[in-house]
Amino acid sequence: MTAALVVAAEETVGEKPARRARAGVFARRPGFLLASLYVAFVVAVAFRPALFTGQDPYATDPAAAMRAPSAAHLFGTDIYGRDLWSRVLHGSPLTIKATLIALVIALIAGLGLGIVSGFFGGLTDSLLMRVIDVLLAIPGLLLALSIVTALGYGTIPVAVAVGVGIVPGFARTTRAEVLRVKTLPYVEAARAGGASWTRVLLRHILPNSWGPVAVLAVLDAGVAIIAIASLSFLGFGAAPPAAEWGTLIADGRNYLVTAWWLSLLPGLFVALLVLSLNHIAKTFQEVTP
Amino acid sequence: MKRFAALTAGLTAAGLLALSGCGDGSGTAAAGQKTLKVSYWPDNPTFSCIDPFQVYWIESRSIIRNFADSLTDQDPKTGKIVPWLAEKWEISPDGKTYTFHLRDGVTFANGKKLDAQAVADNATGWIATVKATNGAAYGASYIQGLTGAKVVDPRTVEFDLSAPNSSFLQATSTTNLAITDPAEFQLTPAERCTGKGVVGSGLFALDHYSAKVETVLTKRAGYTWGSETSANRGEAKLDKVVFNYVAEDSVRTGNLVSGATDIAWPRNPFSPQDEQLITKSGDTVESRSLPGVAYNLYANTSAGHVLADAAIRQALSKAIDRKTYATTIYGADYPAVQGPFETTTPYFRSLSDKLAYDPDGAKKLLDAAGWVAGADGVRTKSGKKLIIDYPITAGSAGPELLQAQLKQVGIELGLRTLTTAQQATYLKEGSYDLTSTYFTRADPGALQFILNPEVANSKALAINATTPDVTKRIQELFAEALQTTDEKRTERAYAELQDYLVDQGVTIPLFERLQKVGVSAEVHGFAFTSESFLKLNDVTKD
Repeated sequence: MTAALVVAAEETVGEKPARRARAGVFARRPGFLLASLYVAFVVAVAFRPALFTGQDPYATDPAAAMRAPSAAHLFGTDIYGRDLWSRVLHGSPLTIKATLIALVIALIAGLGLGIVSGFFGGLTDSLLMRVIDVLLAIPGLLLALSIVTALGYGTIPVAVAVGVGIVPGFARTTRAEVLRVKTLPYVEAARAGGASWTRVLLRHILPNSWGPVAVLAVLDAGVAIIAIASLSFLGFGAAPPAAEWGTLIADGRNYLVTAWWLSLLPGLFVALLVLSLNHIAKTFQEVTP
Repeated sequence: MKRFAALTAGLTAAGLLALSGCGDGSGTAAAGQKTLKVSYWPDNPTFSCIDPFQVYWIESRSIIRNFADSLTDQDPKTGKIVPWLAEKWEISPDGKTYTFHLRDGVTFANGKKLDAQAVADNATGWIATVKATNGAAYGASYIQGLTGAKVVDPRTVEFDLSAPNSSFLQATSTTNLAITDPAEFQLTPAERCTGKGVVGSGLFALDHYSAKVETVLTKRAGYTWGSETSANRGEAKLDKVVFNYVAEDSVRTGNLVSGATDIAWPRNPFSPQDEQLITKSGDTVESRSLPGVAYNLYANTSAGHVLADAAIRQALSKAIDRKTYATTIYGADYPAVQGPFETTTPYFRSLSDKLAYDPDGAKKLLDAAGWVAGADGVRTKSGKKLIIDYPITAGSAGPELLQAQLKQVGIELGLRTLTTAQQATYLKEGSYDLTSTYFTRADPGALQFILNPEVANSKALAINATTPDVTKRIQELFAEALQTTDEKRTERAYAELQDYLVDQGVTIPLFERLQKVGVSAEVHGFAFTSESFLKLNDVTKD
């Protein structure tokens, strides 16, 4: 985690030759390239799923139900004869959208809480951090489950639930950064120069603390995807016939022995994405001096 | 930060363990002891109960059948009522008095005698239980009109009814009116639900009932009073029966195939894939249609709901391809539903013609009602889309196929997954356009407990299902069928009723409910009762 933070900190002040050298380091790692390509593919799918499949994800065809993977149906067909590849791709926008919403919630709330807490310190800090402690004490998935039960089913409630669950990490990271930046000479200089607290906060502390948090957001994308898939696996996802990745995996689990592709192929699709994100994050850590 | 990852990893691991089917922890039986293991789907989450009179959960009733006997039994092949605890009986010409002559020498599992006094005390206990539970006890539906019972002599007992009830004799053959040691009625209904004081005269004795975990029956020595519906009328051929509850269908099937359990008993029929897996591994799949009300759709016809229009209900019914539905969800040889009732229900009448798939007819009806096809395929009328709100529970197979079928004629079926809290309230709130339910009992009178607002399990569903004048006609037809002892009149009334229900679009049949059971190759003598419950009299295990 600290290594990643250092990378980001350096990026903000990075010089051009250093950057180019680092790009070379990345290019020499085929695993990193593959992972990046896969993530880029999934993101492209999330915005234009129809570009990658010609089949209707909702068209049932009982005569062609439960077909094993083939050229016509890359991922096979489900119990109603729907093309699973097309369903996985059309499930991407839902899951990616939920991930983005969760991250935005975590970013905004985490940044806000962290900055206020780190900057003002004292009683405010103690109070806010105790609230965060309470949130940290409740297992993330349990917290998400309780929130989603209160909000009802669907993509947005699931995103909100997961977002709230990862707020504490963001708040803690931001607070630590703010505590560090607060004592740096240029902040003192700005204060001495007569800048107001608001100005110091918005112009000097915030821009210099949010970098590491942004990197944390990328790292947490994988975690959020798993959490969202878990919740939709448990049946809290979008209304049928739309299917998030977790829903697809859950729908196929009764057929694991007889039609393995129903659960395993969507599962593989998600697993590869999360692995890729983790690999990218790890590469960032490794290439950091 | 890693909490999510760790947790999900943990969940996945737990899931995999469960999937591998190694979860069965029941120990090995003592040498020479024959123990049969049965895996059910989960026990009732809100009303776990093993008291015969109160319980409605099919799985519990199936267990009860094997530790508590009834006055009469019903032949699963013919539907005929045959002697059991009662050797013979008479019904008075006015249909209000039933006299039962009891078999001699029958005792409860605790040694007490099962005589006329015990039976009469049961009747008193039933009536008291109905009062104590405000009519919520399921058995209430079987003893309509019963005012009490009196002892004529130690082996003769007389039941008195305030009005004729032609389904009462069949009721005495059900598990809900099984005769138990009347001492149990001194306990509160809730205490009895846990199995406390529940003692029957069956070929097994209830050892213990741990709600949602397991139920254990042990063999009873000296049993000699089985009914003629089984070949073996004496002692059981098994020493012990253990029923457990397995939530995942694939795990239950896996348990059977791997030999961890002897009988896999799902609530919904096996998927065709699971069925293949079972037969391929040498085990067999037994199947019988559950008698009673089929899996029907019921509309919300109250004001402001789109299905208040009978034409749309008719169109909806015509747009359902029942044959494809059955074969896609449950396998190539699964029968299509033929009417509001299951084929094994007495007085069943096939209405296949009226339930034929007719998408063109549906489109015509919708056109005539002013619903025109919109750009996205969904019909609209004065700016309103034809959307039918159909609340479902998570993970149910089928609704998505129904949705696709209705889309063909321009009806959008909105599937809304309910939370557990919403499941309990959505009917009462009337926040639905379409819902579905079923009811298991080997008598058409069962439909009353869905559609007759006076006795229905959900009053809201009964009231919303149709208009007051249609409800009135349905009640009249039921009265005509029930308040008589003339077989012909009953038959005529029920035939008319079934036509009326389909013509009015009150019941929209979706699929026939088959009880499918996976039976290990080591188990012999498997049999269903007339209610498609498990009957263990002839069952033995290698």
